[in-house]
Amino acid sequence: MGSLSSSTWLPPELTPMSHNVDVLFYIILGVVTFFFVVVEVLLVYFLVRYRRTKKNQVGVNVHGNSKLEVVWTLIPALILVVMGVMSVKYVYAEQTTPVANPYVIQVIGHEWRWEFKYPNGVDTFNDLRIPAGQTVLFKITSADVVHGFYIPAVRIQQDALPGRITEFHMTAKQSDIGQVFNVPCDQFCGVGHPKMMANMTIMSQSGFNSWLGNTLKTQQASS
Amino acid sequence: MEAVIQPPRRSAVRDWVFTVDHKKIGIMYGITAILFFFVGGLFALLVRTDLLVPKGLFPTQSYNEFYTMHASIMIFAVIIPLLTGAFGNYLVPLQIGARDMAFPRMNALSYWLYAVSGILLVLSMFFGMPDAGWTAYPPYSIQSQGPGIDMWVMAIHFAGLSSILGAINFIVTILKMRAPGMTLNRMPLFVWSMLVTAFMQIFGTPALATAVTTLLLDRHFGTVFYTVSAGGDPMLYQHLFWFYSHPAVYIMILPGFGIISEVIPVFSRKPIFGYRAIAYSSIGIGFLGFFVWAHHMFVAGMEMSAGVPFMITSMIIAVPTSIKIFNWLATMWRGSVSYDVPMMYASLGFIGSFIIGGFSGVIVASVPLDMQLHDTYFIVAHIHYVLFGGSVMTIMAGLHYWFPKVTGRMYNNKLGYAGFWMYFVGTQVTFFPMHFLGLAGMPRRISSYLPQFQFWNDVATAGAYLLGLGTLIIVTNLFVSAKYGRKVSSNPWEAQTLEWMTSSPPPEHNFDDIPVVTENPYGPYRHPELFPA
Repeated sequence: MGSLSSSTWLPPELTPMSHNVDVLFYIILGVVTFFFVVVEVLLVYFLVRYRRTKKNQVGVNVHGNSKLEVVWTLIPALILVVMGVMSVKYVYAEQTTPVANPYVIQVIGHEWRWEFKYPNGVDTFNDLRIPAGQTVLFKITSADVVHGFYIPAVRIQQDALPGRITEFHMTAKQSDIGQVFNVPCDQFCGVGHPKMMANMTIMSQSGFNSWLGNTLKTQQASS
Repeated sequence: MEAVIQPPRRSAVRDWVFTVDHKKIGIMYGITAILFFFVGGLFALLVRTDLLVPKGLFPTQSYNEFYTMHASIMIFAVIIPLLTGAFGNYLVPLQIGARDMAFPRMNALSYWLYAVSGILLVLSMFFGMPDAGWTAYPPYSIQSQGPGIDMWVMAIHFAGLSSILGAINFIVTILKMRAPGMTLNRMPLFVWSMLVTAFMQIFGTPALATAVTTLLLDRHFGTVFYTVSAGGDPMLYQHLFWFYSHPAVYIMILPGFGIISEVIPVFSRKPIFGYRAIAYSSIGIGFLGFFVWAHHMFVAGMEMSAGVPFMITSMIIAVPTSIKIFNWLATMWRGSVSYDVPMMYASLGFIGSFIIGGFSGVIVASVPLDMQLHDTYFIVAHIHYVLFGGSVMTIMAGLHYWFPKVTGRMYNNKLGYAGFWMYFVGTQVTFFPMHFLGLAGMPRRISSYLPQFQFWNDVATAGAYLLGLGTLIIVTNLFVSAKYGRKVSSNPWEAQTLEWMTSSPPPEHNFDDIPVVTENPYGPYRHPELFPA
């Protein structure tokens, strides 16, 4: 994959949910592109077709048409409602955490780095590692100002707010083991904002467990 | 023997500084806003220049200040004052056949409050420039030190007061001072749009005032509205802020819709298609506009499902807008369409670009898609297609359309077209690539970025320079032509609204005899020789 393509379109789909979000995106993009083309074609066609060619030319004396008004009110309204209903389905799919016993990682935004706290006490900065195949639940908060915890490959973000916990969950696929993804802060938080970015590494369950154990030993030794 | 008594000639200072004439106040709004347009534009070019290379050309702190100033100036000192202050003041009394606004002195006060607001905003540059974005979210905006943000708060207050006084003036003028025979349904569509806009300003602005006042109190007077450890909540600010600032987007586009509704029938030589649909859809936008604010906060800590009602209203609000688009297209259908500069801005420039902002708005209204695209360059693309492809295009259409009314002269046509094409091409080149950057995951408000984003950033920067050059050409053309342009008749476009039924420029009292109105101003096209002005 060339660098140009990765900067021009969507990042890879890391989870089934990111795939679903992309499907929704393509459907809505298709609908709006269709109407975009219709309007632009009509606009240019009318500009060319009805161009004033003689000085005394006059347009027809038409003031409106009630049937047309009804048509171009109801059809867009109907399509928008359908798009809304389709979106609602995914809202609830993303919000509810159906998996019992998710692996909880605490995410804390600082000026200007991401802190990750794992259940066994391991504590890392800007280095997020998650086991593939296991549902991970991020509990997100901030130690100072508002930050934005954003994983483009998962197609989701939540602001990190002081005094509040926001959350979302994800499950990485086995096929992505070894891959590294960007986790930028996308809510303006001051002079370090552009550099506030973590790396998320997808690991195998066993690799993750040994990393977690080794890191715990190192951290206990150094403290 | 002439019985006319010539008033003694007054100095320019008396003539302009102390004027209460709505036309002069409108012109002062216009010229002041165009000056600020250059300042805001300069900041935009600094922002785009920084982003030429991935690591950024300027220090991050400076970059943060540049984009904060760019948005604050463009919104509060350029687009709102140009559309409501300049076009509204100049046109509303003329279009309804009145001699002035209802409260001429208050009108002058609105202008001077606005001038102070803009000057405060620009002066804040020298006192630790505000760096918290035009949204100024706490706690960051409380933490950020220096008088810059305080001056910014005061500037917002002055602008807000100016807005509220202006809005009261428009509502009273439009409801009470229309010429005999001008029922509401015979009002020009620009007047309709100003009426709705004025109501939105009155409802919305107090929320913004509350937001920035609490910010100021938290910064200096020890209150804890937004201090979490003391029980405050930063989300309150976001709610207050967007309760004004989303309707503000409609405040920045509705008068523009009004301008388009005037331009398209005149240059198509046809009655406007669906007068009532266009007029009443503005009311729909004004009403719905107050029920969509939380779509700015889908990822800000709300329950995701709490976003659903706001998603529905945000999608539904596309309906009254699409009604307008279809009616404008239908107005061109079987018309006699001229390619004059105002029509180019209204058709290709405005409709052709604005719909992109409308469609991307539908995309980000969807909660799951906003979860991904929020705070990325996709949003930057969206809002610039609305405010530049939308509002600024309508402003340019209006400036060229009413130029002969205000000056009695015509702009240079070749330079007019040159400016238009630079704006049209520049808009697409600058803002379209930002969709790609957003989809690929580039966050907004960053002074440096990952190397793979450089190509589209450079394209956008090139487009921005083109827009800068276009602005220079357009404004030079207008200012030089105001003095040296070819003199034209009082109604060169053969329009039918009342402002064209008096001399160009109009006398101080607007009309020698107040006109009596018998129909709406979008009748069948009549050749000028059939109805001498």
